[in-house]
Amino acid sequence: MKKLLLLIPILFAQSACLRLDSNLYNLSDKITEYKWDNYTGLQDFKLDNSYNIADSMHTTFTISSGGSKIYATYLGSISRIATDTVILYCHGNKWHMDFYWQRAKLLAHTNGKHTYGVLMLDYRGYGLSEGEPTEAGLYEDVDAAMQWLKSNGLTNNRLIIYGFSMGSAPSTELAANPRSMRPYKLLLEAPFASSAVMAADGAGLNMPASFVTNLKIDNAEEIKKVQQDFCWIHGTNDNFLNIKTHGEVVYKNHTGVYKEAHRINGAGHGEVPVAAGFGPYLKIVGDFIRR
Amino acid sequence: MQRVILFIGIAWLFSCSPVRMVKPLEKGEQALGGNIGGPLIEFAGAPITIPYTSAFYAKGLSEKTTVFGSLHLTALSFGVFQTDIGLCQQLWANHNKTLGLTANPAFHFAIDRWERNARFWPQLDIQLYKEFKNKQLIYAGVGNWIELKNTRPHNELQPQFWFVSPQAGFKWGKNKWVYGFESKWLAPGVANTPNVVDYIGMNDKGALSLYFNLIKKF
Repeated sequence: MKKLLLLIPILFAQSACLRLDSNLYNLSDKITEYKWDNYTGLQDFKLDNSYNIADSMHTTFTISSGGSKIYATYLGSISRIATDTVILYCHGNKWHMDFYWQRAKLLAHTNGKHTYGVLMLDYRGYGLSEGEPTEAGLYEDVDAAMQWLKSNGLTNNRLIIYGFSMGSAPSTELAANPRSMRPYKLLLEAPFASSAVMAADGAGLNMPASFVTNLKIDNAEEIKKVQQDFCWIHGTNDNFLNIKTHGEVVYKNHTGVYKEAHRINGAGHGEVPVAAGFGPYLKIVGDFIRR
Repeated sequence: MQRVILFIGIAWLFSCSPVRMVKPLEKGEQALGGNIGGPLIEFAGAPITIPYTSAFYAKGLSEKTTVFGSLHLTALSFGVFQTDIGLCQQLWANHNKTLGLTANPAFHFAIDRWERNARFWPQLDIQLYKEFKNKQLIYAGVGNWIELKNTRPHNELQPQFWFVSPQAGFKWGKNKWVYGFESKWLAPGVANTPNVVDYIGMNDKGALSLYFNLIKKF
């Protein structure tokens, strides 16, 4: 028995194998090319033809981030970035840009078609982007997208950053702790509060996140540093990121001068644009950008 | 963000386990045991049990009192040292001890090697058992977990402090080997949605759980 007891500290010291960090990234659907409107896989919604984007207003390209080749797509005229307002859309944890293409197209209709440019990227490891996803990589990749926008003439006062779900992490982080650019306004749709809340929600008890993950994502704390205007949108029936334990906490912790909240009745996770209606959803986004 | 596999390893009452000792050991008798099982979750459209494992040692201090201590092996694989230490106390028994009532007060302690975060949770299991002539035993009871911290992350209020879990099980064996099967309904008073884990519970409350255990007495 004494020998068995001696084994415990040895096992504890050697234990390090299992962490849930990589479970954050859902990369189960692999692609060999982007298909955009021709993509037939699962999507949260599909827009009708009136939302189509002309080929001349849609450019897909690569940027370099941390030694990885990152794919990005721009909806609008790149030559007008020096004068346009641009929405930098940070997508969720699922698959690739084809899955989020309809969302990017929808945002390209905010306050009218192509009133604003929209930039979306696949973080490293997502879609055709090289590398493996990491928390630091998310921030680095979105910052690389900002560098690209800056090199094309965008200034801070015309940069709007929009984070959906997992995308709320790089959006909040880079609004709170600017690197290449300081976003002018922050929009978060169905954000999560922190990995600590995820762990506590999952366990029922007040279990520290460090019991299961090394992720440090903490939007609820980082948002306290955000002084920019903030718009929060969340479905009241979000069956994954609880509006009460996640979204409300992030909203409450914003201490900047202006913030607005939109709780979309009956919307689940990923259902906000459909449940609100495309028109009302675009009005929320558009009015916030214009104010 | 999709919920399919995210944080699947987090379970209600982290690394929860079945009742350690339903009936006290004889004085001086020892036992080594292990269990596998946990809450039922929906994974890829099918119900599965999270396969948590733990091992424990027990020793009979008297005819009515047995002490035990455990090591949660799944938690250990995450770099978390978790143990539950307690005793099985005979509260009442008939003259030949084939029918009895026992209580298992215990405390859970867990600390991780990454940030040295530690947690402590008291637990109390109470069960009524009936033993048959062929050493088969059935039992039913209730487990109680207490959350001592009154705040959640970001200083939000902890909504629930007392987690009650009805449980029932069956044990059988031969010679010094005892096999057991137990089912619990973890936290039936707590809604299991929305959540990052797809727990299976009746009326969307709590989580049903299944455990298999094996004990060698010596």
